[in-house]
Amino acid sequence: MKIKYLTQLLSLVLLVNLFACQKQNDSSEQYICPMKCEDHKTYDHPGICPVCKMDLVKVSSIKEAVLDEDGISDKSIFNLTSEWKTQNNETIHLNDLKGKVMVVVMIYTSCEAACPRLVADMRNIYAKVDNPAVDYLLVSIDPEKDTPEKLKAYAKEEHLDGDQWILLQGGLDDVREFSNVLSMKYKKISPIDFSHTNIISVFDKNGVLHYQQEGLGMSNDKLVEEVKNLNK
Amino acid sequence: MKYRLESRLIMILMLGSIISLAGCNGNSHENGESSMDIEVNGKINAQLTSPPFVPDPIGSRPAKQVIVDMEILEQEGQMANGVSYIYWTFGGSVPGSFIRTRVGDEVEFTLKNHPDNKLPHNIDLHAVTGPGGGASSSFVAPGHEITFSFKTLNPGLYVYHCATAPVGMHIANGMYGLILVEPAGGYPKVDKEYYIMQGDFYTKGNNGEPGLQPFDMQKAIDEHADYVVFNGATDALTGDNAITAEVGETIRLFVGNGGPNLTSSFHVIGEIFDKVYVEGGKLINHDVQTTLIPAGGAAIVEFKVEAPGTFVLVDHAIFRAFNKGALGMLKVTGEDNPSVYSGTIQEGIYQPEGGIIQTMPGNKGAPEAPIAQSVSERIEMGKQIYARTCLACHQEEGQGIPNAFPPLAKADYLNDDVERAIAIVLHGKTGEITVNGKNYNSVMTAQSLTDEQVANVLTYVYSSWGNSGVEVTPTMVTKVKSSH
Amino acid sequence: MVKLKYIIAFLGLFSLSLTGICQTPTAMKPIKGGTMLPLYGLDSSKVWVDDFLLDEYPVTNQQYLDFVKNYPEWQKFNVKSIFADGNYLYNWRGNRQLGENMNPNSPITNVSWFAAKAFCACQDKRLPSVDEWELAAKANETKPNAENDSLFNQRIIESYETPNTYSKTVGSTYQNYWGVYDMHGLVWEWTSDFNSVLISGESRQDGDADRNLFCAGAAISASNLRDYAAFMRYAFRGSIKADYNIKNLGFRCARTN
Repeated sequence: MKIKYLTQLLSLVLLVNLFACQKQNDSSEQYICPMKCEDHKTYDHPGICPVCKMDLVKVSSIKEAVLDEDGISDKSIFNLTSEWKTQNNETIHLNDLKGKVMVVVMIYTSCEAACPRLVADMRNIYAKVDNPAVDYLLVSIDPEKDTPEKLKAYAKEEHLDGDQWILLQGGLDDVREFSNVLSMKYKKISPIDFSHTNIISVFDKNGVLHYQQEGLGMSNDKLVEEVKNLNK
Repeated sequence: MKYRLESRLIMILMLGSIISLAGCNGNSHENGESSMDIEVNGKINAQLTSPPFVPDPIGSRPAKQVIVDMEILEQEGQMANGVSYIYWTFGGSVPGSFIRTRVGDEVEFTLKNHPDNKLPHNIDLHAVTGPGGGASSSFVAPGHEITFSFKTLNPGLYVYHCATAPVGMHIANGMYGLILVEPAGGYPKVDKEYYIMQGDFYTKGNNGEPGLQPFDMQKAIDEHADYVVFNGATDALTGDNAITAEVGETIRLFVGNGGPNLTSSFHVIGEIFDKVYVEGGKLINHDVQTTLIPAGGAAIVEFKVEAPGTFVLVDHAIFRAFNKGALGMLKVTGEDNPSVYSGTIQEGIYQPEGGIIQTMPGNKGAPEAPIAQSVSERIEMGKQIYARTCLACHQEEGQGIPNAFPPLAKADYLNDDVERAIAIVLHGKTGEITVNGKNYNSVMTAQSLTDEQVANVLTYVYSSWGNSGVEVTPTMVTKVKSSH
Repeated sequence: MVKLKYIIAFLGLFSLSLTGICQTPTAMKPIKGGTMLPLYGLDSSKVWVDDFLLDEYPVTNQQYLDFVKNYPEWQKFNVKSIFADGNYLYNWRGNRQLGENMNPNSPITNVSWFAAKAFCACQDKRLPSVDEWELAAKANETKPNAENDSLFNQRIIESYETPNTYSKTVGSTYQNYWGVYDMHGLVWEWTSDFNSVLISGESRQDGDADRNLFCAGAAISASNLRDYAAFMRYAFRGSIKADYNIKNLGFRCARTN
């Protein structure tokens, strides 16, 4: 376990530090629209962008940093370097969760109105998907109160049993950052209460946001289908 | 206990709403078929038009998926002569682009917020049945776009507007327009259709104060409008911008009221509406003189023009028309029709006992107006006053309005007697006069202008349109004033 | 575990030494904390804001250019799309070039929340919170709290309506009581917790106590129905996402005192 974390940490920090190093994409040159009209679509010959008609440029001429060694997409949530504690008091980074489809929700344990329903939705999705290759993440928006111990107790109380359920405590800033990746909104409105939007998000195995369901009491069918498709 | 009471209350409320929901299942059109069930066939791009024009009638087109693409622009425009304003617009005009659909259409609406805009916006379409009329799903930041869709269930003419906080300000800045949902088979054919929308505006400077005028929140809250206008500006429907028709044509006006505050008493001087689709809905009233259009509401009016001439569109809360700009024109050309309108047949003397106060109580404390230092300055200043005070009746080129308001251009009555002209501006004029061989019998009220302003405006009039070119000085005005 | 900590610490130092080439930090002014009533809060309760430091000016194009020269991952074509959408540094000509006609001393705009956060972190600062920003922005030239000054409010609304103010030079509007410039009239500014504004954009509904949507629905009614300028700011915050890059949206940094 330790070694795994260590290497991952190392590779992360190295990445952060060494992006100034140029790495050529293979030996043959790739070309890309300088305005990225077609996102990251590359061509193996010079030409013009079919969208904005600008001359394509060499990828190496604009790319000073390179994609992750591990091939992490630049849309991936694994680009976040924040550190988290699980309900079992283990320290993890998000990219430790790489390789599995993830269903993610943000809650706080003292919430009495919306969160119990969100968690019920999660259990429901878990039962319908019925696949051990999917992780279910509950990230606390109240990290000051939701310690690993509290999260563990909450998991027990809510019957979130097994390795597939991961409850996370992070730093205040990191939680805010995470919520922004999900476009989720929340505000602390009293010492014990938060108002928040209710969003359940699905990430693919590479940590790229794939699907979101907003609101309470929604049908989960579409979301369940998306999760199943990602595992095909 | 309290909880139980509450839950019982909720139960009752829910029951009630279920019943009322069942009651409105009649989203049906003529055949009794539910609008919900109308199937769409194919896809078209909606034709969007700026006022006063409307897209082509739908006619018998089957329901389709209709793509609407609308861009929000915050831009400077002219409210009145010399007065500009930053308008917030749907599609670059006030009111926003006219959207024309039929019942059962599925509208795919893309709202684009231009990157140069400073504020987020959204759209609430009164034609949409759903939370906020689309507003909650169309909230969009500058430089972004958003797409949502809805099915048109109820035929009628509906207002759309921005509903972003502060809502009043977004509407006061011009963010409204009309969406028409035609019934199956469309409306009966007419010869001309136009799009008119009234709105009230609140500016930091009072009516007529030149320059770029910012929105005044306090006046808006107090509902003290500086401008009440059709289609976003005082001259949007006058002069060259007047709407037109031929004698004998039937005209349909799609009239809306964006507000934000004032209800419109919509009237066309010299016309009677043959038909009014009351509040834009299905109910048709006949032979209507003035129809009420609430803020956030609309009406469809139809009439046949039987005689040529200029018909003036007003909010008949009449100070809004003559002092705040709620004035538009419909110019009808064609042959005279004496059996409909004969002109004056007989004149008599009317001499009631006692006098009538013709001057308003003096407004002390008004700011000092600038004083002209030269003839050219006098003409320049006079032109501004003319635009504010005289233009509505005597017209842009001093041509007047036949049978109603005498011309000033090359006018013998004007050029023959300067002192008489001064007296008329000062004290008003009632009764018959002959100008260039034609008789006019009308009322001009005394104008509340300073001597300096009277001198300026008359000098402008005398120096324009082939008139004698005489300069009127404040001294001359004072002299005429004291001789009475 | 002990070993791991050492390694983290070591690597942390290492990383500072390699990438910590931050330009001179921008000048800051102390803001005195206190209680304040946010536009959207719990019922009408006030919140406490501690003393803090706030940048004297919004961050400029030049300062941001210097930053990306040292931090290639925040350059126009290198930024990861999870951190900024396609409008990032929209008008720039290249990774190390401002756009034509861009004034180096105008506020940087077309930057995402993630980018603004990274810039501040580099100077050992952070973005101000919504409450901090609002507290500092309440001051006019002479008073720390000009909330009830109708002329000041009217001036703010006018400045919000004025187009193209992002192209002005920083410092060109006014210096407030705290010595801070351009709080209103130049650009909107990112705040650390802008996504704590839970309005849906359907402002008439936003006062609704909808327990289905929010845990404590009553918390979202506005405290001052006449503060149009604040409504405009909060509506703006409610409409944006952290990866958005907008022409009229810049930022300045804060630091805990």
